[in-house]
Amino acid sequence: MKRFAVAVTAILVLALSALPALANKFEDIKKKGVLVAGVKDSQPPFGYVDEASKQIVGFEIDLMAAIAEKMGVKLEIKPVTSSTRIPMLSQGEIDVVAATMTHSRERDKTIDYSITYFSTDQKLLVKKDGGIKSIKDLAGKKIGSAKGSTSEKNAKAAQPQATIISFETYPEAFLALKQGKVEAVTTDEAILHGLRNKDDKPDDFAVVGEAISAEPYGLGIVENESKLRDAINFALMDLWTEGKYQQIYNKWFGKDTKYYIPLTWTMELWP
Amino acid sequence: MHWDVVWNNMSYLLLGAYPKGPLGGLALSIVMALVGIFGAFWLGLLVGVFRLSKKAWLRVPALIYIEIIRGTPLLMVIFWFYFLAPVVLGKSLPGEQAAMIALIVFTSAYIAEIVRAGVLSLPKGQMEAARGSGLSHTQAMIYVILPQALFNMIPSFVNQFVSLTKDTSLGFIIGVTELTKAATQINNRTMNAPSEIFIAIAAMYFLICYVLTAFSRRLEGKINRYQARGR
Amino acid sequence: MAYQFDWGLVVSGEYGVMLADGLVTTLKISALSIALSLTLGTIVCVMRLTKVKALEWLSASFTEFFRNTPLLVQIFFWYFGSAAVLPVSWNKWLYAQDFEFAAGVISLTVYTAAFIAEDLRSGIYAIPKTQLEASRACGLSFLQAMGYVILPQAFRIIIPPLISQFLNLIKNSSLVMTIGVMDLTYMARQIESQTFHGFEAFTAATLIYLSISLLVSGAIQIYNVRVLRLGR
Repeated sequence: MKRFAVAVTAILVLALSALPALANKFEDIKKKGVLVAGVKDSQPPFGYVDEASKQIVGFEIDLMAAIAEKMGVKLEIKPVTSSTRIPMLSQGEIDVVAATMTHSRERDKTIDYSITYFSTDQKLLVKKDGGIKSIKDLAGKKIGSAKGSTSEKNAKAAQPQATIISFETYPEAFLALKQGKVEAVTTDEAILHGLRNKDDKPDDFAVVGEAISAEPYGLGIVENESKLRDAINFALMDLWTEGKYQQIYNKWFGKDTKYYIPLTWTMELWP
Repeated sequence: MHWDVVWNNMSYLLLGAYPKGPLGGLALSIVMALVGIFGAFWLGLLVGVFRLSKKAWLRVPALIYIEIIRGTPLLMVIFWFYFLAPVVLGKSLPGEQAAMIALIVFTSAYIAEIVRAGVLSLPKGQMEAARGSGLSHTQAMIYVILPQALFNMIPSFVNQFVSLTKDTSLGFIIGVTELTKAATQINNRTMNAPSEIFIAIAAMYFLICYVLTAFSRRLEGKINRYQARGR
Repeated sequence: MAYQFDWGLVVSGEYGVMLADGLVTTLKISALSIALSLTLGTIVCVMRLTKVKALEWLSASFTEFFRNTPLLVQIFFWYFGSAAVLPVSWNKWLYAQDFEFAAGVISLTVYTAAFIAEDLRSGIYAIPKTQLEASRACGLSFLQAMGYVILPQAFRIIIPPLISQFLNLIKNSSLVMTIGVMDLTYMARQIESQTFHGFEAFTAATLIYLSISLLVSGAIQIYNVRVLRLGR
């Protein structure tokens, strides 16, 4: 009995002492030569599985590849969802989150963020003939969103009389809208356009309403890794000034694409 | 109906991004099921034998383990290993590993109960005779009791492995790209054929599980005949 | 980064209420599904024994199919896939109701009914055949013989496996969170994503599930010993 107790204690002590020693993530990444980014795999055009190549592709993947190139390392991607991205980052399974994540104060308590790399507003996606014009029309109705997102909370605050139904991903929420299970899907305008334009009949749907909230996307970085954060911020700014950012943006959101959204904001640039 | 969506994505459903990327889809489900079956069998056997032990310090922890796991939904066990292992272990577990460990731990508690039931259903004389012929308790267990008990319980094991195969679908919730996740990825991209996609993957799971179930039934018949002859 | 525990979070205030709401939903969906699956399972089992080929075949395919496919896939099918299968007017009406809850109940009911039908069938096989023949000879119809003679005995035999099916159902109900039913697991996950205190939330949820299971199996133990005078 006693020996057993000793063994258990020893294992516990070992496990606890294995807690992260003071590390410098940036140096680690350089040494490994690999930057591991958590990206969406169900969110066209930010990140989704391409039918032909079966690889995850998208705006955020291209952006991360460019950042990794600037840092002189290879990019490895791992799929995340709205509810798994922060735990995976804090656990060190990924180095950076590039998954349509809004920079919020609440989240900033747990992780750090890069400067804004994409800016959008939270709006509503509805059926065109459904008679919904703004969030006010949704009292007593069902709204679809995704688990662990800011949209979920914002919608509840903006329309307390609605029921928010949260799915694993936004396309599932959109499917629920198509089938009439919810009256609206709410999240960032860029995602809503992506959902709408991906559909067989985009004209049946419309993005409506005034902005429920501003949604600046930042790349999520583990708390207190300032060297890594600097490297990523500098890479982002360089990409913008070199015009590489705009090139990637136009590839996914340009005029000729299914997801056309004009580039109306400018990145914060440090001299 | 849009069955073409299913056909066009068949290789993704079967293999995931392999060979250009990580293995996924049905192939990953099968790998997870096989690893799970292997791990759960041995862990379950160990816990089951502990549960039968006369020593309280082996029996009581085994009992607590079995009762806690069997009283908890598998989804919770998966969350434990995925979200919470880092807090306890100080080390993160990738989704595939977390799911497989959770499946092993979860199924082992049920296997342990099957082992126990198998041993208890043997006549007491077996143990007494084995001990009488000079074997130690452990030797008697390994050479006499367990082989018979495990043989009799083969159908129950197979049923438990069918459950485990179905349970690999829960890997979806923590982002493991097994068959169910692959299907939802395709569904989320195409969004015009949910019924077809889910019917297709249901048929794939059914095929595997039905073959296992049918196999277990045949074995059951054979074992019953064997026992009838023996008596 | 060291993890700061905050147990107060899950036992009081906004998040305590969320967990309590989730528990109520879990109990509601489980109770309804248990009642329905028992009914459906009995019907399916009796169909198997009617000696009418079409009914037998239907019953066998029902049990084989639903037992051998994952519950999660069935939940997705009923929730997302049923739109294409059912008539439009039915869908309209369904979606106006609490369809997430309904789809959850349907999935859990159908899945568990397949297992109950099999358990019940083995219970019936344990009853000597002569019982059915004797009741038929007394002038009872097949259904009367089933309802008054065979099933009451079979149910008594299968009480233990039946209870474990019900316990499985309660545990399986955690899967309905994937289609947005706000049950206990959904709420635990919500708290995790809003506060990043997953440890506390999942511990609380696990303990609640565990207490339900232990309470039910404890009650059965007492029933077995006191009422049926089984065991030691």
